[in-house]
Amino acid sequence: MNASSTSWTLALDGTALPEKFLIGGKAWSIARMRSLGLPVPPAFVITTRACVEFLNSGRFPQGLEQQLADGVRGLERQTGRTFGSGPQPLLLSVRSGAAVSMPGMMDTVLNLGINDLTERALAGECADETFARDTHRRFIELYAGIVLKATVPELPPGLTPPEWRAAVASAAGAVIPEDVAGQLRGAVHAVFDSWNSRRAKRYREHHGIAHDAGTAVTIQAMVFGNLDERSGTGVLFSRNPLSGAPEPYGEYLPRAQGEDVVSGKFTPRPLAEMKLSVPQALQELLAAAQTLEQANGDMQDIEFTVERDRLYLLQTRAAKRAPLAAVCCAVDMAREGRIDEATALTRVTPEQLRTLLSPQLSARNAAAATVLASGESACPGVGIGVVVVDSDEAERRAANGEAIVLARPTTSPNDLHGMIAACAVITEQGGTTSHAAVVSRALGRPCIVGCGAGQLTALAGRVVTVDGHAGRVYADALEVAAPDEQANERLRALAAWAQARTALKVFRPADAPRDGVADLDKIPGAEDPERIGQIIAALTGVRGARGGAIASVEGVRAAIDKGLEFIVAEPVLPALLTAAQVCAPTNAKK
Amino acid sequence: MQDMHLALHGLAIKKHGTPAEVAAVVGLDPARVEALLTDAVARGRAVANQGKYLLTPTARMALDGEYSRYYGKLRNNAAYLAANEAFERVNVALKSLITDWQTLDLGGEKVPNDHSDEAHDGRCIDRLGALHERADKVFASLAEQLPRLQIYRDKLLAALEKAEDGAHEWVSDVRIDSYHTVWFELHEDLLRIAGRERVE
Repeated sequence: MNASSTSWTLALDGTALPEKFLIGGKAWSIARMRSLGLPVPPAFVITTRACVEFLNSGRFPQGLEQQLADGVRGLERQTGRTFGSGPQPLLLSVRSGAAVSMPGMMDTVLNLGINDLTERALAGECADETFARDTHRRFIELYAGIVLKATVPELPPGLTPPEWRAAVASAAGAVIPEDVAGQLRGAVHAVFDSWNSRRAKRYREHHGIAHDAGTAVTIQAMVFGNLDERSGTGVLFSRNPLSGAPEPYGEYLPRAQGEDVVSGKFTPRPLAEMKLSVPQALQELLAAAQTLEQANGDMQDIEFTVERDRLYLLQTRAAKRAPLAAVCCAVDMAREGRIDEATALTRVTPEQLRTLLSPQLSARNAAAATVLASGESACPGVGIGVVVVDSDEAERRAANGEAIVLARPTTSPNDLHGMIAACAVITEQGGTTSHAAVVSRALGRPCIVGCGAGQLTALAGRVVTVDGHAGRVYADALEVAAPDEQANERLRALAAWAQARTALKVFRPADAPRDGVADLDKIPGAEDPERIGQIIAALTGVRGARGGAIASVEGVRAAIDKGLEFIVAEPVLPALLTAAQVCAPTNAKK
Repeated sequence: MQDMHLALHGLAIKKHGTPAEVAAVVGLDPARVEALLTDAVARGRAVANQGKYLLTPTARMALDGEYSRYYGKLRNNAAYLAANEAFERVNVALKSLITDWQTLDLGGEKVPNDHSDEAHDGRCIDRLGALHERADKVFASLAEQLPRLQIYRDKLLAALEKAEDGAHEWVSDVRIDSYHTVWFELHEDLLRIAGRERVE
């Protein structure tokens, strides 16, 4: 093949949908959104073929440099901006993207194209010097961390960009180019190199992916949500990700750039406020959410920016959701005909059902109770016990059968044994990333952090109820109750769909047959999911089984393999769903 | 360095540790650690319980007072201090990453990650790998100045690779030498060397 006539780049304008192996998953989804008629910032892609050439020869293939420049010129035309100069500078995002997404590939570099000159132009354009300077700083940080792979020193906001660059140069032993074409070249190089990173290579070996497929590079124009009052940025969920209610849910920050939403420096407003400043963009956004949900067959999480009244979709993906939302969304979408029942059953996990059906405080009891302390919720769940302020004492008393709530100013690895022994953990200082929070979540202990200095020691010896979700510590032992799985109409529907796909019956203890049931609680080792398979296989003369780890995936699978008629479990639905997923032709694990 | 100090230091990090666990943290021979800890029990500096050891409160205080003697030089070593500062910076990123591993952000509300979304978990482990590769340069600088810290570097990579191969408990399970467990122990070690307290 004559390399000089090869096309190493492709425009992503929606007129064609090139294959994923050539342009990678991210570019493919941009092209697809464009082909659905949705507004996406202009972009082009360097194909995986260019990467393969680069990896073989160690340098850019002939013609790529020119095509890269042409591609950037195309973005300039579409945006009316200029790469490397004012009055309206073009900034770019550069991201890696192989056909199969894999670890170790380069993270996205944002705001590429900013330097001392374009910073001034940007400051003039958005009439905001602070923003332009901050954009410059974030670019230097990102480029140093991602492209130069350095642990970036703190770049104090008071210093100038040349001083920041000097700090990075001495920490990284490499320089961030001032010229914008050099920045782009460096980032593309880094993407290509990341194909052969330690993690990417291990992942390919582990998953049997060819080492010579290469990655594409997507180069996209940045859009600005902070130019004026008719600009902003936000996130839209096509349904409520907490409750599952079939109505759009989201947040909007007028006159702000994407990072501002994440930074927590600004308080986002409800989506409805877009009606006041950018009503047309809001309408388009809601329509786009419907289009994407229909096309992708799942609840969408869409990042967007409005630049001077114009809507741009930055990214869409299947939304993460709370257990309740997973149930509602799965059942509702099946009933709306967007997915079939079998798919609906794969959209909910047994763990989500267990969380949903776990014991909770009743709102009425909580409202009437005395709040002794409150803080930030670090891990939900309810724990009831006597407050102990020393980890050694907590371990000792828990070993004697007492239920213990461990209260500490903060925790350290020295408190681990106390945290393991406790049924809940509360601390006076620290936030949701503190040691107490991290370890409690790992242990699944209800945890509240940051109750305030000196707020907890006085509680020593008192019996309290810790509501990890609400972040409140109540006086005395409050009543908890498990939700009734038969009272919820959607759970009943899921149960019916699951039962239609498995012959195994799941009974709650009160309804279970009395005869022919093996009680696994009486068989040593049956509480261990890794051993239950053998134990069930060895049973003789029984129709069903109860106890031990029967409700685990391994237990349910072994019961089905053994041809048992039923198992006994409470709540019923998680085990029933497991049975349906085990029986599904293509195992539900996606 | 005195072995007894090292053994008790290891016990401060691996509280309720077996001699083998303590030995693995500080890089001493397990039999030697067992002898030292037995001796420490005889002198009232530690208590033993079913093969596991625990510092007595007074021994803990005495130990805290010893660090300035053993690490006085290191506390004035510019290369070590720079690496220590770099560690504190990566530590902030690590903590927020572990939080992302454990919680999902649903439209501003934090809920626990039930690990049913493989794509999310995969991305977290990928980010952990990226962080590790940046942090590894810091570990290398630390170990250059204090060779026994290489132990943490090896354990961190081992935990990371197990997590990358699909054994997700190696990210943050507190009962094993998961990435987060080892990271916290390293942090605790560095704080003790520097004579500082944990902030939260």
